[in-house]
Amino acid sequence: MELSVSTAAQPSHTGQTNSQLVFASLDQQVLQISQIWEHADPGTRLVLNFSGVQQLSGLEAATLLRLVAEGQQKKIEVRFSRLSAEARQAFAGLEVDILSHIHTSPARLSSVEQVGDQTIALLATARRLLDMIGELSYWFGVAPWRGKGVKWDRTGEQVVKIGIEGIPIVTFLSFLIGAVLALNAASQLRQFDAAIYIANLVGVSMAREMAPLITAVIVAGRSGSAITAELGTMVVSEELDAMRTMALSPGRFLLLPRMLALLCAVPCLTVLSNLAGIFGGYWVGVMLLGLGSRNYLQQTGQALLMSDLVAGMVKSVVFALLIGLVSCYRGVYVRGGAEGVGTNTTASVVVSIVLCILADAIFTTIFFYFD
Amino acid sequence: MTHLTHTTHKEYPDTPAHTQPYVLVNNLVARYGDLTVLDDVNIRARRGEITVILGVSGCGKTTLLRHIVGLLTPVSGQVLINGQDMHRATEDEQEAILRNVGMSFQGGALFNSMNLEENVALPIVEHTQASPDAARLLARMKLSLVGLEHAAHLLPAEISGGMKKRAAVARALALDPTLLLFDELSAGLDPITARELDELVLRLKAQFNMAILIVTHELGSIQMIADRAVMLHAGKVLAAGTLDEVQAVDDPQVQAFFDRRPRQASLQRGLLDMLVLDEESYGQDTA
Repeated sequence: MELSVSTAAQPSHTGQTNSQLVFASLDQQVLQISQIWEHADPGTRLVLNFSGVQQLSGLEAATLLRLVAEGQQKKIEVRFSRLSAEARQAFAGLEVDILSHIHTSPARLSSVEQVGDQTIALLATARRLLDMIGELSYWFGVAPWRGKGVKWDRTGEQVVKIGIEGIPIVTFLSFLIGAVLALNAASQLRQFDAAIYIANLVGVSMAREMAPLITAVIVAGRSGSAITAELGTMVVSEELDAMRTMALSPGRFLLLPRMLALLCAVPCLTVLSNLAGIFGGYWVGVMLLGLGSRNYLQQTGQALLMSDLVAGMVKSVVFALLIGLVSCYRGVYVRGGAEGVGTNTTASVVVSIVLCILADAIFTTIFFYFD
Repeated sequence: MTHLTHTTHKEYPDTPAHTQPYVLVNNLVARYGDLTVLDDVNIRARRGEITVILGVSGCGKTTLLRHIVGLLTPVSGQVLINGQDMHRATEDEQEAILRNVGMSFQGGALFNSMNLEENVALPIVEHTQASPDAARLLARMKLSLVGLEHAAHLLPAEISGGMKKRAAVARALALDPTLLLFDELSAGLDPITARELDELVLRLKAQFNMAILIVTHELGSIQMIADRAVMLHAGKVLAAGTLDEVQAVDDPQVQAFFDRRPRQASLQRGLLDMLVLDEESYGQDTA
């Protein structure tokens, strides 16, 4: 079967307005053609007669090629007839291959398909994350027994970057948080003549909750983002590939040192945050509220239990793991150049903080019931 | 005119065993998703020879190099380096293979946080028993080989594109490899620097009897250094052999490449040949 369609457009490319009108006209015809071949059998040849067309714009040529590609998918052969030399120029430089690269708009996915798509993406992420955890475990637990030890020198460098250089900001913010906690508590507790219990509130809050969380948020924002950006930039500039061709594993040389540094630095910073926060409370209690220095410290000592300190430390280790995994994963799987580095760095910080708060809520609930 | 596709061992019938191909790529198929990037590619590279992989941009040259060094895993086929299958080797075997391989990336891929000396010294420190001082000295020697001894203390961000490429060559040479791979070695460089790099490659071949694989589309460079050439087009080997043999291949793509002919002329006709039923075009007067 052969269908023949004559083009009705009489283009006059004298100005932009005309050109657009012509395209609208052609577009309309393309729509009509699409309706025609809904009822056409596979194997049909559709011949488009261009005898009335002098020129074709790039947009018109693209529309026609799209029609040809759609026809190929439906097994309908679309061919051109009586195409002027000038109209042919619209196809200049195009390869036959281009037809295979023209994608028709994908049908809108149903909600079930969208859920399926998201699930597949999530599973792929989980698999890559597990791969990374496996690789890190290998370099930490197995490889040292085969003569490929942990790169402690690189780990030390990272401890300095993440831990030592993070001391001022963690200390300062923790001090302020401790002071703010004390001030807030004072306004309530003074009504009951129980201002001395500010020491209990600040001490326990810092040890169990605030110190690990403040430290995690600061480290995620300060070091987690730096890790993602650094690794992502290395991916973009092929540095990781270069390492692999030198038989140097990025897992051993880049990821493990950062993970270990986080696992070492975050608990240490948490201890520091504890001390700074308690000192902030002490400063408010003694200097502003007139509580006795010795009384305050004694009260803090009585309020704090070993389980409070342990709970805080356990949280800090888990937070360090979460920040490390998220920032390394986001860095290693950067796609799309500089923009990808920026996007992944932001995502790294946001996801790390969300996961830390989520983990904190879970821990707090567990500790509440098992205390 | 000959059309040499799908080269085999017969290409070297009288070759002694010790000069058999150091790199063998057999029936390699590679895909990115649904897109086939390399389709049944066969390549050989011997020691003491420079094999140039040619082709227009996007034909799969870099993908081929990345498969040879194991950065990508093929769908099928194999890559043998000195008789060992790169993609079926254990981790230790792969590491042993890679210690004899040096690769220079298109953009250099130098470690931005290290100066040039540290960049070159890194593989030496990690893979040999050399003391830090010895590694630094060796790195300086490699840098002086490419004329960069004066820039050893500079960071990659502080040097030009040509210097980066030369530093990448120095790093690729750090462990005295048997196989050297260069991705677009002289692309984007001024003629003098490009010529210097070509001369360096020729010197390396002569002095160290290396197998050298170079991806390029710089015709001047190809004419100067190529012992053998492999022409890729759309992921397939279009021609392989000595440079003269490849240049003599009667194929429009090969001829267009060496004649620097724009592809529009031939390809435009191809698309319209398929789409237009009547051959003659209709001028305005026929409308």
